[in-house]
Amino acid sequence: MLKVTCGLVGRLMRRIAWATGTMLIAGVALPVQAETLTIALSSSVNTLDPTQAQVVGTDVSVAAHLYSSLVARNADSKLVGVLAEKWYPEGDSTWVFDLKAGVTFADGEPLDASVVKWNIDRIRNPETKSRNRAWFDPVSGVEVVSPTQIKIHTKGAYPTLPDQLSMIFFLSPKWMESHNPANEVYGTGEFKLKEFVAGDRLVLVRNEAYKGVASPFDSVVFKIVPEPAARVAAISTGEADLAFDIPLEEVERLKGGGKTNAGWVASSRSMVVRMNTAKPPFSDNVKLRQAVNYAIDKQAIVDGLLGGLGTVSNCQIMTPAYFGYNADLKPYPYDPEKAKQLIAESGLVSGTQIELQVPMGRYFMASEISQVVAAQLQEVGLDAVIREYDFSSWVQPYSRGEMGAMSLMGQAWPTLDADGQLGLYASQNPTAYFKNADYDAALKAGRATNDPKDRLVHYKQATEIMCREAPVIFLFAQPFTYATSARIEWKARGDDWIRAADVVLK
Amino acid sequence: MSRYFLIRIGQSLLAIWGIVTIVFVVTRMLGDPAVLLLPLGTPDSQIQELRSSLGLERPMVVQYLDFLGHAVVGDFGLSYQSFRPAMEVVLERMPATAILTASSLALGAVLGAATGFAAALARGRFLEFVVMCFALAGQATPVFWLGILLVLFFAVELGWFPTGGWDGPASLVLPTMALGIFVAANITRLFRSSMIETLSEDYIRTARAKGLMPRTIFMVHAARNALIPVVTMLALLAAELLGGSAVTETVFSWPGVGRLLVQAIDSKDFPVIQAGVFLIATIFVCINFLVDLLYTLLDPRIRLGR
Repeated sequence: MLKVTCGLVGRLMRRIAWATGTMLIAGVALPVQAETLTIALSSSVNTLDPTQAQVVGTDVSVAAHLYSSLVARNADSKLVGVLAEKWYPEGDSTWVFDLKAGVTFADGEPLDASVVKWNIDRIRNPETKSRNRAWFDPVSGVEVVSPTQIKIHTKGAYPTLPDQLSMIFFLSPKWMESHNPANEVYGTGEFKLKEFVAGDRLVLVRNEAYKGVASPFDSVVFKIVPEPAARVAAISTGEADLAFDIPLEEVERLKGGGKTNAGWVASSRSMVVRMNTAKPPFSDNVKLRQAVNYAIDKQAIVDGLLGGLGTVSNCQIMTPAYFGYNADLKPYPYDPEKAKQLIAESGLVSGTQIELQVPMGRYFMASEISQVVAAQLQEVGLDAVIREYDFSSWVQPYSRGEMGAMSLMGQAWPTLDADGQLGLYASQNPTAYFKNADYDAALKAGRATNDPKDRLVHYKQATEIMCREAPVIFLFAQPFTYATSARIEWKARGDDWIRAADVVLK
Repeated sequence: MSRYFLIRIGQSLLAIWGIVTIVFVVTRMLGDPAVLLLPLGTPDSQIQELRSSLGLERPMVVQYLDFLGHAVVGDFGLSYQSFRPAMEVVLERMPATAILTASSLALGAVLGAATGFAAALARGRFLEFVVMCFALAGQATPVFWLGILLVLFFAVELGWFPTGGWDGPASLVLPTMALGIFVAANITRLFRSSMIETLSEDYIRTARAKGLMPRTIFMVHAARNALIPVVTMLALLAAELLGGSAVTETVFSWPGVGRLLVQAIDSKDFPVIQAGVFLIATIFVCINFLVDLLYTLLDPRIRLGR
């Protein structure tokens, strides 16, 4: 009887082997395409509608391949013109954009100043329900001067308008009469959409009507690969050319692989431990806030937990990629003795329990980092208690201004401008947890002019105040890891933007 | 008989309504999606505006009645994330899940039946021990770990199959193996014990006494009857797998329903959660109903016993 079953199983196995073999041939026999760039995205693309796209790393980056913006930020974090030839402020309440002539949609409809105005007005219209409307709150009106010139009038100065416009893409008013951009794509970008398999991939092919510099790639495939180990596998087999958020321990291995390459770059996201300066024990107690900064060995966290991938923040929540970065500031040194001394001077009642909130699943190694932070705070005699929260249950009280004494979090601002990033701590912001009149005044002054030199002076002042007043424990810039196949090179950037234009074919 | 079915249909509808209601209440307890949907630093007035445009500022009862009224005709509203009808968003992920379910059930059923059969026949011998060890290991192995191993071996080392994604039949092989092994482990154990039980029945002894070939006894008299609980198990597994296996789908970048729902819960995309749960609940209830039907056909005792 055993023989019978073995025979059965054997036959079955042979069947399976045969079936697998045929499938294998079907898999291998794919037609060899012209140059295709395959990019593995770490999370799903939610919407194709460029007016609703918010997440730079997915939706906005994909939109940038299909549609054109006025300006774009390149890998050196400089703004370059896309539809705009040049742009400049006129006085303190107007931005002028000179547009390139001859940009058209596929059917020949020109993308001129009136189309730009139509699009911006559409986003500003509450009826559109664009989630990005807040970006245009300071705009008072859009004026078409000529088909190739547009003026955007603002209530007061709006120095970061060009940066913000790098995330705004232009739809055809005519096409919009009968189409829904959530389902279809009709743009003026380098590529057009060939296939969209929800949750799996987007296949883009070259847009022949595109007049700019032609991409070396005939086709760009965005594959959604949510699991880090699967991204590593896809890079190892050459199925993907570029992938992000690679586990730290894999970076070294892929770097030395020969067939692959990997690396990291400081991202625009600063990790901090925020303190609630509206509540005891951190309210009106700058000594205690400074003390906790002295108590944490930032470099040890970077070296020990992140394997050296990361850069300690220079006593500010901006990296050098930001406009307004203050190169003169230095991190608080690790000095537990000084910390103890400051704690003694701060008048903190000993035995005060300090809650350290940790939102889970959002920030890189949040759990590990918070444990080191809590342990080092305990070493200087503070009773720090970790409480881990699911992100969505943490964000509710946080956004209402009811954060606990301390919370680990990462902060970035997509325009890479001090105005946005430092504005997170402006006292009118419900999630500022910080109130300092001088700081507010410096930010306000920085916003009141479109002159970059003038603005830098104010942000220098603001960052100095923030360093001294220490509303956070300044930790480090979160590393952004990536891996590539050997055939390409990626101009690494830490601002989440993913563009085929940053990829060079070797 | 028809009265019985009417009651069963009524019960099924009640179950779907109950699940949908619970999910409605639970999603509302997740908190406010408006905060998550807007960029950082959006003024409060606009958050309020979004909340009211999503209809979330209305009293719960009003929201619930409105939701029920639309859900009855299959309208679950627009997804907060993709701005397309929620049911459409769920349904477009269904084929991937359905194909993976079908292939892994098929593999699991065949493999599980074969090994379960072998184990039952080899009762008390070393082979049974080996088979049962594998079955236990198969059931205890976390699917994501097995999945990653399969990817490392068959995709990265050997290069036979793609590492993930949904592109052609080759991409189906590894996720099918991962889930199929899980299914097979379940079936093996069940089929083995069911076989052993059946083999001790009187009619088997009668068959032996009649002098029937052992092969006929095993294949026709024992196996057929022993398959009844296996059919139930397969149906239940099918219903479970059709709800999407988020873990397997994540490991293999498989664009199925499970991953979609986890993501929807993460981003508090209420319409997608509700549409997805409604669909899965309906499938589950329908399959259960079909199994009951099948039982009455397969087993005369149930049909006649009332």
